[in-house]
Amino acid sequence: MIGFWDIIGRSESGPLVKEEEFDLQVGQMARHKVEKYGIRYDPEQVIPADDDLADRVYQAGFDLFLELGIYCRDTGRLMKFTRDEVEWALKYAPTTVTYGQGRDVAVMTYRAVEDPSPPFCLMTPVGTPVAEERFVPMVQSYVQEPLAQTFSSAFSQTVHGRPIKAGTPQEVEAAIWNVIKLREAARAAGRPQIGIHNLISNAEATDATLAAIQADLGVQPNDGLCIAATAELKIDYERVKKVAFLRHSGHNKYALYGPLMGGYSGGPEATAIVHVAYHFLGLLALEAQWHCGFPLHIHHGCNTTRELLWLVSITAQALSRNTHLLVTVNTFAAAGPCTEMVVYEIVASALAATVAGADLDLVAVARNRHPERASGMEARIGAEAGHLVARQGVTREQANEIVKQILPQYEAQVGEAPIGKRFDECYDLEILQPTQEYLDLYERCKEKLSGFGLDYSLL
Amino acid sequence: MNLFEQMVEATVDEDEERCVALAQQALDEGTDPFQAIQEGYTQGMHIVGEKFARLDCYLPDLILSARAMNAAVEVLKPRLMQRDDHGSQGTIVLGTIQGDLHDLGKNIVKIMLQAAGFTIHDLGYNVPVRQFVEEAEKVGADIIAASAILTTTMAYMPDIAALLSELGRRDKYLIMLGGASVMAEWAVEAGADGYGENAVEAVEVAKRLMREKKGGERK
Repeated sequence: MIGFWDIIGRSESGPLVKEEEFDLQVGQMARHKVEKYGIRYDPEQVIPADDDLADRVYQAGFDLFLELGIYCRDTGRLMKFTRDEVEWALKYAPTTVTYGQGRDVAVMTYRAVEDPSPPFCLMTPVGTPVAEERFVPMVQSYVQEPLAQTFSSAFSQTVHGRPIKAGTPQEVEAAIWNVIKLREAARAAGRPQIGIHNLISNAEATDATLAAIQADLGVQPNDGLCIAATAELKIDYERVKKVAFLRHSGHNKYALYGPLMGGYSGGPEATAIVHVAYHFLGLLALEAQWHCGFPLHIHHGCNTTRELLWLVSITAQALSRNTHLLVTVNTFAAAGPCTEMVVYEIVASALAATVAGADLDLVAVARNRHPERASGMEARIGAEAGHLVARQGVTREQANEIVKQILPQYEAQVGEAPIGKRFDECYDLEILQPTQEYLDLYERCKEKLSGFGLDYSLL
Repeated sequence: MNLFEQMVEATVDEDEERCVALAQQALDEGTDPFQAIQEGYTQGMHIVGEKFARLDCYLPDLILSARAMNAAVEVLKPRLMQRDDHGSQGTIVLGTIQGDLHDLGKNIVKIMLQAAGFTIHDLGYNVPVRQFVEEAEKVGADIIAASAILTTTMAYMPDIAALLSELGRRDKYLIMLGGASVMAEWAVEAGADGYGENAVEAVEVAKRLMREKKGGERK
């Protein structure tokens, strides 16, 4: 069994490797695995229904992880693992994770490929920058969504009117403020005990993060934190510090991976293999209970292009077919709120993920970089699509046909996607509901999507 | 195929050995080393950069081509140093700003700037503002370029211009800002002279800034 002290030990004793060389090894090794396992991306099979392909992607990711290992940036050492160690960790990986208290309890469980059960829906503005006075309303717009099972944070550009800088005392204040305001948003939404899957999104330093994890501030025992790996297949001590804390605090933890398609890994096939390998990193080095992936296109900063939908779907299928890991896809859309494009991107992503056995982390929009561009409505769009896929019993073949009709609605515009409307332009802040314009736009898109094969009358 | 065309081909092919051999051949034949870089290796990197922009190749290819080119430049360097500008388009101090541990984007920008003929002093990641300024003074930089991926680390970026102003050195350096969280309008407010949406744009902006500086158009 690999535990915390084994990880620390290996980070201090593994072979020394220059980081640049490791970066290149990732691509070289992934390319080799692509060839060895005959993995080919087919743009016509955006959502593949080839079990053998999914299994080969899994085996390739497993082999790559065993051969490559994890790179520790602080020590410059490689941490290697044996097949038995990884298999043991997989065997005893969590099968459920529970968030929330009382009537707001929600349980994330394993999903199979084409699972008829609905996906677990985590809702979040994914740290979108927002003015301090609109922080609670923006977050509340997610929490109040009926299909939200957990939520997390936007990013307030100031706290008490002051900008936040990483690693400063004000960052500690900001992290505490963030936690207080998240619970305030939950109470305002009438869901006082709903789980928060990532309590802090405005602090980079671990001390600030940990300072805010206090029950008196509204933190529940099974709220949690995210621990991110670094691209590609690296960890650093700043993040592993969170593992040490969470081992003893008992809060939930999940790992976050964002491999870049076109980056060190290479193309879609190689990046898919590396993405699978990340899940072993999360399980062993970060003790993740569940796994959140947001592979991104290196130039477009989204995961709704044709190649990325393929990548998302085949990796989720690979993991779902070969493990009982709790796998989640974090959609990153290129377009922003209140645009037809964002609806189509989110629905395509929800289809690719849900039918592949993944849960849904909803949702980053406008490439997750434009201030004020996020609202609970986008999360609703994704969750409804995910529930519909399960309720309608959509197969991978059917999902592929639907997605191939959706893609022409937006794929030519990905590079120049509209950033959409601000939160206060697409929501009526008095009643905290989407504007009629946004609701009408969604209805028009649903009509079109119904024509593609999604039966919205089942919702 | 002439010598420059061979250099282009060797760079595109990521062939370090051939790049070095062609550089030596250029020296032996008395070819202007600056011309060899500009019309040979840099052109090759330009092709690789375009392929990367279309994702006809990937980051490792870009890195290996850049390595091949840099190895050739090392061979040419003694002759280049005889030029007043040392054959450099300009000197840039580059890093990811304080508190930020992400450096992939910064590394891509570094490769592209090197390929365009800039001399890069890479300070790595989590670089304090003071260090950017101290290093710029030490190496006689033309440009200070900082990257941020996080909103909390982006908040340090305005401090570069502020510190330079406080030290009475603002006019000595050009400032370029970029990174996933940084928007063009914000960068200008933060005191940037240039902003790159991506690595390709960053190179064009750096070239423009240097043209303006050399032409005395700035300030």
